Amino acid sequence: MADTTNTPKHDVIIIGAGPAALSAAIYTTREDIDTLLFERAVPGGLAAVTDWVDNYPGFPEGIAGLELANNLQKQAERFGAVIELGEVLKIVDEGKWKRLETTSGDMLARAVLIATGSDYKKIGVPGEMEYYARGVHYCATCDGAFYRDKRIVVVGGGNSAVQESMFLTRFATHIDLLVRSTIKASEILQVELQKYVDEGKITVHLNVVTEEIVGEGSQVKKVIGKTGGRRVAYPTDGVFVFVGLKPNSEFLKDSSIELDHVHLVKSNENLQTTMKGVFVAGDIRSGATMQIASAAGEGATAALKIREYLEGHKHPIQN
Amino acid sequence: MVKSITIFTTTTCAYCLMVKKYLGAKGLQYEEVNLDENPERQQEALEASGALTVPVTVITKHDDSQEVVVGYNLAKLAPAVA
Repeated sequence: MADTTNTPKHDVIIIGAGPAALSAAIYTTREDIDTLLFERAVPGGLAAVTDWVDNYPGFPEGIAGLELANNLQKQAERFGAVIELGEVLKIVDEGKWKRLETTSGDMLARAVLIATGSDYKKIGVPGEMEYYARGVHYCATCDGAFYRDKRIVVVGGGNSAVQESMFLTRFATHIDLLVRSTIKASEILQVELQKYVDEGKITVHLNVVTEEIVGEGSQVKKVIGKTGGRRVAYPTDGVFVFVGLKPNSEFLKDSSIELDHVHLVKSNENLQTTMKGVFVAGDIRSGATMQIASAAGEGATAALKIREYLEGHKHPIQN
Repeated sequence: MVKSITIFTTTTCAYCLMVKKYLGAKGLQYEEVNLDENPERQQEALEASGALTVPVTVITKHDDSQEVVVGYNLAKLAPAVA
């Protein structure tokens, strides 16, 4: 077992700083449990790059994703949560301590919460990587402004694709929404989408499998989709991709923490993973509903379960 | 040594906020060019970065050489402003 004498120690290390992580931190820090959050990108996670959130309780008119993320962060920091920017590379079980190998060096925690969430998936078609950030995008709130008075193709048919298509109409002259099968977005979003369709701002193309993104020089020119056995070209100036989520669990692949068939983290009824003292909450948990409200709730539950775990495994921190 | 920093942003971009927070925490001054408010400067951002994305951070050194960091990329941003 490695020497722990000079390694920084915390009661709880939360990996991630999205809604599940920040909610958990609000609960642990309010109880004076020493808590460090480790975030590799943006506090707030995918919520922070979502244009508008209409289904998070307590905001009758909805709230901008970035504002919700900022509020969650401020609330956690008010009680003493510390967010460190960096990446956790590995979790090693050393019995009463969990050793986290990070980009800032090793750290020890009595309990760990994995709340790393997900990122948007790539489609995996020719042209996608070649035109990454030069015509192919995954963040409408970041890059939509580059498409003022231009045509856009959005690929996807879930909540994100529909929500972000509607957001992009504030810039683009027209949006072609390419949907692999049928629209899977919530009823309320579908009703909202229909208004944009009726106004001629968005055209929905069902049963179109995106096959290629084609450009000339440095510019995207069209998307090729296959529908009814035919290849159809959709002329465009840019492509925004929202085809589902990819769990951020790569760093767990060589650990004893068990993942399911789609690489989400398995847990028991206490949200504890197969490594004792390591818990999971939010979009990264196997069985998660991929909703911000659920993630926040799971974060709170995980924090309470962590408190119970720590009370049963008391030993003072000696830095 | 850093002479000046310009960040190209949009109003709704969370990664832009992170870059601003990072530079603010380091006590570094910067000029922000919000492309929603100044769409005529998009070409400038594109020419600097070669990308249609924000944030784009342009760091001008005292010898007038420039470093450009695309996105919220601490591995590149931190040494560039050190």
